[in-house]
Amino acid sequence: MAPAGFRPLRIAGYAALVLWSAVVLFPLYWVAITSFKTPSQVNGGPYYLPFVDFMPSLHAWVYLLVDLRNDTLRPFFNSFVVALCSTVLAVLAGAMAAYGLSRFRYRVHLGSIGLFLLALGLAAVAVVQAGVHWPVAAAAALAFFFLAVRALAPRMRRSVGNQDILFWLISQRILPPVVVVIPVYLMFQQLNMLDTLPALVVTYATVNLPIVVWIMYDFFNALPRDLEESAAMDGASRMVIFLTVALPLARAGLAAVFLLVWILSWNEYLLALFLSTADSQTMPLLVAAQNATRGPQWWYMSALIVLMIVPVIALAMLLMRFIRRGFLVGAVKG
Amino acid sequence: MRIAMRNVNKWFGANHVVNHVNLEAEEGEFVILLGPSGCGKTTILRLIAGLEQCDEGQIIIGERDVTALPPKFRDLAMVFQSYALYPHKTVADNIAFPLALRRVPAGERRQAAHEAAAQVKIADLLERYPRQLSGGQRQRVALARAIVRRPAAFLMDEPLSNLDARLRSHMRAELKNIQKRLGITTVYVTHDQIEAMTLGDRVVVLNQGEVSQVGPPGEIYGNPRTLFVADFVGSPPMNQVRGRVRQGVFYAGDSKVAVDAADCEHAVLGVRTEDVAPAAAADGDFAGVIYASELLGDCTLVTCQTGDTLLALKTDKNFAGGIGEPFGVRLNRDRLFLFDANHGRRIDNNARRAGKP
Repeated sequence: MAPAGFRPLRIAGYAALVLWSAVVLFPLYWVAITSFKTPSQVNGGPYYLPFVDFMPSLHAWVYLLVDLRNDTLRPFFNSFVVALCSTVLAVLAGAMAAYGLSRFRYRVHLGSIGLFLLALGLAAVAVVQAGVHWPVAAAAALAFFFLAVRALAPRMRRSVGNQDILFWLISQRILPPVVVVIPVYLMFQQLNMLDTLPALVVTYATVNLPIVVWIMYDFFNALPRDLEESAAMDGASRMVIFLTVALPLARAGLAAVFLLVWILSWNEYLLALFLSTADSQTMPLLVAAQNATRGPQWWYMSALIVLMIVPVIALAMLLMRFIRRGFLVGAVKG
Repeated sequence: MRIAMRNVNKWFGANHVVNHVNLEAEEGEFVILLGPSGCGKTTILRLIAGLEQCDEGQIIIGERDVTALPPKFRDLAMVFQSYALYPHKTVADNIAFPLALRRVPAGERRQAAHEAAAQVKIADLLERYPRQLSGGQRQRVALARAIVRRPAAFLMDEPLSNLDARLRSHMRAELKNIQKRLGITTVYVTHDQIEAMTLGDRVVVLNQGEVSQVGPPGEIYGNPRTLFVADFVGSPPMNQVRGRVRQGVFYAGDSKVAVDAADCEHAVLGVRTEDVAPAAAADGDFAGVIYASELLGDCTLVTCQTGDTLLALKTDKNFAGGIGEPFGVRLNRDRLFLFDANHGRRIDNNARRAGKP
C-alpha cells in the first residue's frame, strides 16, 4: 500500500485546509503585528513581515501599559470581574433551572398568570392615577392575587407546561437587545447603580441565563435516570442528587456553556455602552474608544485586542480537558 | 423486615398497570416477581422502592406505612438492571456512597466498603473506575453497594439479565448464598423462570398487572392454578391440547382420555413434558407422527404431531426415531391439568386441593 500522504485527493484536501487556515488566521496575525507597529508604519504600509518589512516597536504597548497603566488595567480588571461573576451566576442558576425543567413536571394555570398580570396592572393604575404609595399598592395587589387564585383555581382548565416555560425563557433572547437597553438604563438609574460593576453582572447574568438553561436542559435530559434513582435509593435528597450525581456527570456541558457565556459577556458592547461611563468601563468600550477624533488608532486598538484574546484562549484550553467524550462509559450496562 | 402491599393500584394514563395487588414478603424471605415483559413487575418493585407513587393502596415496610414517603426514608437497597454505577467515582466510593450519605466517618466507610467488596470477591478492584470493569465485575459492584449497609430489604430488578449465560448461573448461586447468609428480605424481579425457580422461597406470578398465583416454586410448577401460569412457567412449556370434557372424558379429535373434571365445551388439557411417555402408536392416548427430535444432552426432546396439536416429551438420549415416523404417547393420569379455555381457570377436581387463587 502506498503511503497515505501521496494520494492526490489527500494532497488536495490538505491544500484546501491550509488555504482556509490562512483565511482564518491572517486577521489574527495582522492584529498581532499591528500592535508592534508605529503609527507611521501603519499608515505607510502595508508591511507584512516584522524585521523584514518593518522594525517592530513596543511603542503601543509601552503607552498602554506604562503611560496609561490604570486606564488600561482598570477596564481589563472590570471585564474580568464582570465576566467571571456573571458567568458563574448564570451557569449556577441556569443549571439548576435546567435540571428542574428536565426532572420535574410543572403545570402553571394560564388563569393564574392572567390574574397576576391583572393584579400588577391594577397596582400600577393605583400608583399612577390615585397616587397610592407603591408598597401599599403592591401588598394589596399580592393579597388580591392570592385570594383570587385560591377561589378560582378549581375552575382553571388550561395550563402551561415545561416546554412552554422553556420557550418563554428563550423568547427573552428573541427580542433585539437594542429594544431593552433604554428600559434597563432607566431601571439602574432609579436604583442609583449606573456605572457600577454589579449592574453589569446582574444584566449579563440575566441576558445569558436562557442560553445556559437551553443547553443544560439537553445535557440533563441525556443523563441516564437510573443513576439518579440509584442515588435516591442510596439515601440522597434531590439537592444531593443534583450536586453529587447530575452536576459531575454534566460537567462537559457545564464547561462548554461556561466558555460560551464567558465569551458573550467578555465581548459584550451594547449594554456596557449604556450602563457604564468611567468607573465600570469594560474592554470592548476601551477598544472602541481608540477610534478617536484623529481617526482610528490601529496600533493601540490592536494591542488591546491582543489583550482581550489571550485570556479567552487560556480559558478555552483550560476547559477543553472537561469537554471530552466517553465520560459516561461504565455507568449503565456492559 | 417484612414488606406488605395492600390492594395497590397504579395507572399510567388509561393503562391499569398494577391491578389490586396484595403481596407479603416475610422477614428474610426471598420473593420473586415473575411475569412476561409488560406485566407490571418492575412497576411493583418501583412502587415498593418509592420511585413511583401508588394511585391507591398501601405499602408497609416493617410496621411502618411508607406509602407517601420518598425513597430516601424507606431504608431499602436496590440493584438496577443497568447496575447504575456512578462513572465519576471509584469502585470504593461507589460502594461507600450510601454510607457517605449517612455521614459515616471515612475510616469506617473504607472498612465497610472493603468488607462488602470482599463478600462479592472484588476487593482487588476498589481503586478502579466502572469503565475499567467487565460486565460481571460491575454487577458485583452494584451488589456490594447494596450489601454495604443493613437495609430493611433488598430490591433487585433483573440484576442478572445483562450477564452471559455461564456467569449468570454462577451469580445466581452466589446471590442466593449471600441473601441467606445476611437474612435480609429480598424482592426480586425477573422474567427468567429458571431464576425464579432456583432463587425464590416464594414466587409471585404476574399477568397484566394482576397476581395470577403465589406460592413456593414447586407448587407454581407442579400445581398451576391458571392456564397462564401453566403456560408461562416451565421450559419447555406445558403441553396443551384443546378439546372438550363430557361426563369425565376428554375428547380431542379421535382421541379420548378419562379425566376427573367438570363438563366443559372449550377445555384445555395440560400435561408436563416429563409426564408424557412414548407408547406404541396403537395403544397410546394420542397417536401421531414425529414432528421433531432434539437432543438436549441428557435426554431427547421429541415433538409429536397429533391432529393439529404438538405434544413434546422427554425421552432417552439414545432415541432414534426419524421425522414422519408414526408415534404414540401415553399420559400420566395423575398429572393431568384441565382448564377452561374461556377464563383460564382449572376445572379438574384436583384443583380444589390447590386452594383458592
